[in-house]
Amino acid sequence: MKSLLIRFFISFWLIIGITIGSASLAGYWYAERMRDAYDNFDMGDAMLDASAALASAGRDGLIVWLNSYVEARGTSVLVLDRTGRDLLNRPIPRSLIRIMERQRRLSPPPNGERRDPDNVRRARPLSQLIGPDGARYTFVLVPARDGPLSFRGVPPPGILLILAVIVSAVASYLLARAMSRPVRQLSSATKSLADGDFNIRVASSVVERRDELGILARDFDSMAGNLQRSVAQQVELSRNVSHELRSPLARLRVALELARRKTGELPELDRIDHETECIDKLIAQMLSYSRLDVVAKQDKNSTCLNDLVADVVDDVNFECESEGLRGKFVRLEMTERITMLLHGESIKSAVENIMRNAVRHTRANSDVQVELHVRKGGGAVVVVDDEGSGVRNEDIDKLFEPFFRTEHLTENRAGTGLGLAIAKRAVEIHGGTISASNRPSGGLRISIELPVFGTG
Amino acid sequence: MSAGPKKSSILLIDDDVELGVMLGDFLATDNISLTACISGEAGLTRIADQNFDLVILDLMLPGINGLDVLRQLRQTSELPIIMLTARGDDVDRIIGLEFGADDYLAKPFNPRELLARIKAILRRANAKPNEQTRLELGAICLDPRTRIASVHEQQLKLTGTEFEILRCLLKTPGEVVAKEHLSETALGRRLLPYDRSIDTHISNLRSKLEKAGNNNETIQNQRGKGYLLIPGQDHSQ
Repeated sequence: MKSLLIRFFISFWLIIGITIGSASLAGYWYAERMRDAYDNFDMGDAMLDASAALASAGRDGLIVWLNSYVEARGTSVLVLDRTGRDLLNRPIPRSLIRIMERQRRLSPPPNGERRDPDNVRRARPLSQLIGPDGARYTFVLVPARDGPLSFRGVPPPGILLILAVIVSAVASYLLARAMSRPVRQLSSATKSLADGDFNIRVASSVVERRDELGILARDFDSMAGNLQRSVAQQVELSRNVSHELRSPLARLRVALELARRKTGELPELDRIDHETECIDKLIAQMLSYSRLDVVAKQDKNSTCLNDLVADVVDDVNFECESEGLRGKFVRLEMTERITMLLHGESIKSAVENIMRNAVRHTRANSDVQVELHVRKGGGAVVVVDDEGSGVRNEDIDKLFEPFFRTEHLTENRAGTGLGLAIAKRAVEIHGGTISASNRPSGGLRISIELPVFGTG
Repeated sequence: MSAGPKKSSILLIDDDVELGVMLGDFLATDNISLTACISGEAGLTRIADQNFDLVILDLMLPGINGLDVLRQLRQTSELPIIMLTARGDDVDRIIGLEFGADDYLAKPFNPRELLARIKAILRRANAKPNEQTRLELGAICLDPRTRIASVHEQQLKLTGTEFEILRCLLKTPGEVVAKEHLSETALGRRLLPYDRSIDTHISNLRSKLEKAGNNNETIQNQRGKGYLLIPGQDHSQ
């Protein structure tokens, strides 16, 4: 079917129509059959014949009549005497016994007084004949097995009910499943997309449908495709811009050296050199920021976090020493050995950026404290504490945004503004978290939490 | 070799034509002649035709990329190579060193730094070794005069940098040699922060030694100190 609208319309219409229609048809059919049966059965004439037989020969005459009648027309008439037994000793249906009970209660007691006032006539549901000896004989029409009033061919109501429940349940289930399965597939695709998986596409069984769900699935796929392209383009663009900037910058630096040779040292040339260096650093950081998306798609390697952090500490200390950073030093404290699956380079750049940031901001002649320990429930925590002036509380969350700078830190402008943003992305790629807080004793604490990969 | 100050010839493989021209001007004053090629194919042909003292290779090239040029070059020659990499592109840099580049420089580079590195490598290549003595340890044998290193008499294919590192380590077996010292002797330059080139050269050297069948002597890393060559126990197993 082409559209959900039509599918639902027709399904509901059919289900409701069939239910109501079949119920009324069955009722109508049965009523018709009953009417036909009663129409074809001439009780009046039979009663006259029976009455004559009873009048002339009493009970025995009635029995003779009944025998001949049954022989001629089937067993659809019972004649009961006062004791409630059939004259021909045929079994009496249970339903009839109940009716008889009611009749007995309704009929005035044979010898008792009438309790009803004169203007009351009670209906007598069953015809009776009264014999010459005063005996009453009750005539009952019975829907005999093969008689005109039998229910033959109609299953008992219990089975009908169970059948109705099963059939309607199957129909409803099929309809509900037809609807819910594609919706669930769409919803899981949506969730994956929201989680950043731009490769996700809806299953072909949904996409190939010709109804509204198929249209929705195709729209979803083209949306995911567009998102994927535009994200890829953005990454590609920033990478290309960074790469393309390298060439003019390289020429600029050579030109600068040639100029120095011609004119000798000039403070302006030093300034140009310095600014070129700044642009260079910024490009490097932009490159590594955009590279993180590529990194995320690569496989993780089993990496010893202790070695990784210790390497960075060595490097940063080496840098402090060679650049004469006024007695600053990084101290590392770690006890357990932690080996986990990581994109080593990206986590290394995260730790490195945080540590260099800490070294930049910590007071002269103060230490940066780095701690590495196992996280509760597995994984690892890296904590970097500096002894700088900290960050205003309202700025703490913005610290990890690209190019965010705190206002009062004018003296330390050496950073590119991307270091902590790179750290955050790198940690997030690993499903970890990064957070900053002001330490009670002054200074900033940045902690990285990395969950365990590759288990469970 | 001529008696006068020898003019060194260098090949630059970089698709930036103007950069080549300016670098040529810049290096000319230091008695270095620079030939520039704008593609890897052209570069490989030039190297086959002409003797160069050193190659500067940009890894980002149109056509066959720099790493392929490097690999092809290393199959036939031990010519010193300085590669230019994108800053922040550590993977390229590490692979480049693994493929046998002698040193690297992030582009855009400081031309004075480039000049210093060129000079360091040329100096090392042209140096008449002071010690003429053969160095031996276990199966490893190194002859400074012929510049041949071998394991079990089988010649190792080492780059100039790897040869120098091995020589440094062989001189004092069992003693830690500082990374700073290795950088200064093998690369002719000071160790820089975040500089992993010595580590990469060492791991190349390690795997070449192992491939040649040397399992006794191992190069070990002492964190924060440097590297040492540990003599194997003779006649053990």
